[in-house]
Amino acid sequence: MSNTPNANCEDCPVHNLGNLTKLGINMSQFDFVVALAGNPNTGKSTVFNALTGLRQHTGNWPGKTVTRAEGGFVYGNKRFKLVDLPGTYSLLSTSTDEEVARDFILFGQPDVTVIVVDATRLERNLNLVLQVLEITDRAVVCLNLMDEAKRHNIDVDARRLAKDLGVPVVAAAARQEEGIPDLLKYIYEVATGAYVCRPHRLERTAPRLEKAISELTAKIMNEFPNLPNSRWIALRLLEGDQKIIDAVKSGELENLSRNTTILSVA
Amino acid sequence: MKTTNKESILSAANTLRWEIGEHIHDSLVESIYADANQIASRAVTVPTEKPRFNFDKRLDKLITSRWFGFPLMFLLLAIVFWLTVEGANVPSAMIATFLVDTIHPWLKGLFTMVGSPWWLTGLLVDGVWLAMAWVISVMLPPMAIFFPLFTLLEDFGYLPRVAFNMDSLFRKAGAHGKQSLSMTMGFGCNAAGVVATRIIDSPRERLIAIITNNFSLCNGRWPTQILIASIFFGALVPAHLAGFVTAGAVVGVAMLGIFFTLVVSWGLSKTVLKGEASAFSLELPPYRPPQLWQTLYTSLIDRTAIVLWRAIIFAAPAGAVIWLVSNIHIGELSVAEHFINWSNPFGILLGINGVILLAYIIAIPANEIVIPTVLMLTVISTKLTGVGDGAGVMFELDEATAVADVLRAGGWTFLTGLNLMLFSLLHNPCSTTIYTIYKETKSVKWTTVATVIPTVMGLVICFLVAQVWRLITF
Amino acid sequence: MIEPLKALIIFGIVTTLLAIIFLPKYGLYSRWKRNRRGMKRVLVEDALKHIFDCEYKNIFCTTESIAGSLLISTDEAAELLTRLSTMGLLVTLDNGVKLTAEGRSYALRIIRVHRLWERYLADETSVPPTEWHSSAELAEHKLTTAEAEALAAQIGNPNFDPHGDPIPTPSGEIPPKKGHSLLSLNSGEFADITHIEDEPEAVYAQLIAQGLYVGMQVMMIERSNERVRFAADGEEIVLAPLLTNNLTVAPITEEEHRITSPLESLASLKIGEEAKVLSISKAMRGQQRRRLMDLGVIPGTTIRAEMKSASGDPTAYNIKGALVALRQQHANMIFVQK
Repeated sequence: MSNTPNANCEDCPVHNLGNLTKLGINMSQFDFVVALAGNPNTGKSTVFNALTGLRQHTGNWPGKTVTRAEGGFVYGNKRFKLVDLPGTYSLLSTSTDEEVARDFILFGQPDVTVIVVDATRLERNLNLVLQVLEITDRAVVCLNLMDEAKRHNIDVDARRLAKDLGVPVVAAAARQEEGIPDLLKYIYEVATGAYVCRPHRLERTAPRLEKAISELTAKIMNEFPNLPNSRWIALRLLEGDQKIIDAVKSGELENLSRNTTILSVA
Repeated sequence: MKTTNKESILSAANTLRWEIGEHIHDSLVESIYADANQIASRAVTVPTEKPRFNFDKRLDKLITSRWFGFPLMFLLLAIVFWLTVEGANVPSAMIATFLVDTIHPWLKGLFTMVGSPWWLTGLLVDGVWLAMAWVISVMLPPMAIFFPLFTLLEDFGYLPRVAFNMDSLFRKAGAHGKQSLSMTMGFGCNAAGVVATRIIDSPRERLIAIITNNFSLCNGRWPTQILIASIFFGALVPAHLAGFVTAGAVVGVAMLGIFFTLVVSWGLSKTVLKGEASAFSLELPPYRPPQLWQTLYTSLIDRTAIVLWRAIIFAAPAGAVIWLVSNIHIGELSVAEHFINWSNPFGILLGINGVILLAYIIAIPANEIVIPTVLMLTVISTKLTGVGDGAGVMFELDEATAVADVLRAGGWTFLTGLNLMLFSLLHNPCSTTIYTIYKETKSVKWTTVATVIPTVMGLVICFLVAQVWRLITF
Repeated sequence: MIEPLKALIIFGIVTTLLAIIFLPKYGLYSRWKRNRRGMKRVLVEDALKHIFDCEYKNIFCTTESIAGSLLISTDEAAELLTRLSTMGLLVTLDNGVKLTAEGRSYALRIIRVHRLWERYLADETSVPPTEWHSSAELAEHKLTTAEAEALAAQIGNPNFDPHGDPIPTPSGEIPPKKGHSLLSLNSGEFADITHIEDEPEAVYAQLIAQGLYVGMQVMMIERSNERVRFAADGEEIVLAPLLTNNLTVAPITEEEHRITSPLESLASLKIGEEAKVLSISKAMRGQQRRRLMDLGVIPGTTIRAEMKSASGDPTAYNIKGALVALRQQHANMIFVQK
């Protein structure tokens, strides 16, 4: 696949260059692309600013009236492009914001997706985290607003969370720049493949769904064996998601398959 | 072979969908939350004892209280507007002095020195440069104050509470409470107000907010309102009451704008927009101290600079047009005079005049240049001498009484003043806003609707007011 | 200058004229547009739909039934049937007519558009339920296949219309009819409403007025020849047996029913009170439903009413740690247990 640069190379980027170009992302000056997802009001833009400083510019997503901020940073001699996705509660509903965020993670296949999470409202934020982890297996959770959590005497065990989610979890207070160095380190490690995520996948779906999902997943695996998220694709097909139906029809899904061995966790 | 496999995946999915029925989405969200709940409960330890003092709760109680909620909102908004108007006066005057009184003659001298023909100097320096200078000096300072203040309130968490308090009113008009915010933003600049409707995530309510934003009296129209009100309303009463009456008249027009916002929103939601998707949700985020520098940076770069840039782009050609129509002569008279004479009867029927009609047509890029254009056109069409700087050169006068003299010489009455104020509220959005509406809706249809509705309303209302006024004063 | 009085009179006349021409529904323009519906194609399509409906319900269509349903004379109906059979869309049998394969696929396409449009109106617009059917009657003849498929994609390829009828696939597949009449339930049995027949309109309007909707949970209390009493979402409803013919239900087992006692809605919570969500009414549809679920309004969530807005509505609720404002009309559709 010409879309996947340097397959079979452990620390190489995995992003989908062809699709990124279609999404209006210019990667000519960068090695890796990092997506920034999160619920609204979680301090996502503060994290964005802390990571990029003033090296950023804003515009719109191509063809959409959704604001997009882009910025960059250098870490460990690698150049990272950071793309701010619209703040959403979910990726399942059909609002334009969610479509933009979903399409970027699914089709752009960013090297890392950073999910900013409000430590004081963890359960609600996990809704989005779990959905992102269904789509991509390269994510870092930024447990932001730890200062607020402390003030409210809420204790969040980041280690435990990382174990349950299967991806790195960084406790942070982005306003005070706390945790940003750790975040940078994990972004680097996940991007270069030094840290291999084993993301949590949905365990308990309703019984009447389960049968349909496994039946369809098997069929999809048969056709697209290296897909990192076939179960999720099956779910989307059951919901009648037109973008995914089109992707199956056109064979676009093939381009999303991963050729490298170390990543086939799914 | 491959294609058939793909088809079989899709048809299998379809068959399975019939079997599962309609509850896929519900079951899916439920199972995600079940996992989320389990993971969260393992990682989070919540205090058994609730914190005794909860700042957020206390503040919320005050802000959403039946008795203090609305007065507090009006007070805060009044402070924001007062800071904007007062704070903008000095920098506005400074920029105007610099760009109009210093740079303009200097440019003129420069052009003459290099031997450019008079028409090129006129077109570029008197037309294009002056239009841009005016737009910058009137627009930049208020926006540079208003937008950061607004963003600070937003970041602090106050604005969502305003939407919360105002929602019931907007719900009755078929709109979203957050429209109160984009509407307020429209008082600064309609183009910015239209962009601000992005916070409304329900398509139907967002369209309503976009189409009605023009009923918010923008920063470019306030000076017109204040000037005309002080000349025609202030003059009706003794001097010590003049300021009070003037302010009352302007606030009255702004209130009328809010009234039309609600009425037109209601009408749209019941008719053409009935078929658009609608969903209401409003999160009230926790209060957080705003980040001053970040706010200043983003509101100056993202909001002010972009809007100002668009306005300048549109103002430049308009300046050229204004200069051209007043300097190209057909026979004895300039194009402007021809148009004024031709459209005057129609203007009189509407209780205004040909000068105002022409001014609103050629000053479509920015409401800021309407008054300078009106003054210039009045001077050339009535052949006044001793005022202004010649054909096609927009100007303003420092004293309201001097403006009043020019206008009365142009045949203005109280009715003309009143209807100009109404027409200034109810006419097509400026071209920057029209362009922004198109950018936001990507639809020629909705852009046209947003342009035509206020224009037709303005024409009809001015017409009716004029006839009724003449009937009762006859 | 024109005299003001004269000007006002002329203005009045012009406005009245414009109103007569362009008034929605009653204006000349919309009347003219509606009359164009009398065209041949519309009749053909309506007839096909009617015949398909008969076949789906396993009854035979007659010339009379077609005339009745299309509001035309029997002669015109007979003529129409001849036309259809020359077009190769149906064949005449001894006891009625039968669609050919071609006629069937034509009919299914029209039905697909009709039901898609109803679903679209229900999920994505604020058009009231009583207008869904009549609007779809117009749309089914107007939308091209491409437009219909674009619409389907946009609303997530639904497979049921809001009345519970299956939407045929683009290739014309449709599952066989399922479900029973409400009258088949014995006292104490539970069922989900799977379908509400939208014709005749008067009956449908009456059922909608009772607050019934597809997906609602019912429990039969008592049925006799005069009346049928049942509990729906915990509230008792009494209907004439004739009306219940328009309701189709699917029985459910005891484990599946969540609703045992009369339901209380989230809107009934006083400030400071807490309650657990039992279910979201199926009458809340489309984006609004998805949005609420994303925010954490799902069965089992504990929600606390925190404060009312300064104008009384909406109310802010604490949902999984976040303050979310809900309008009363929506809070009414969330059922809770205190």
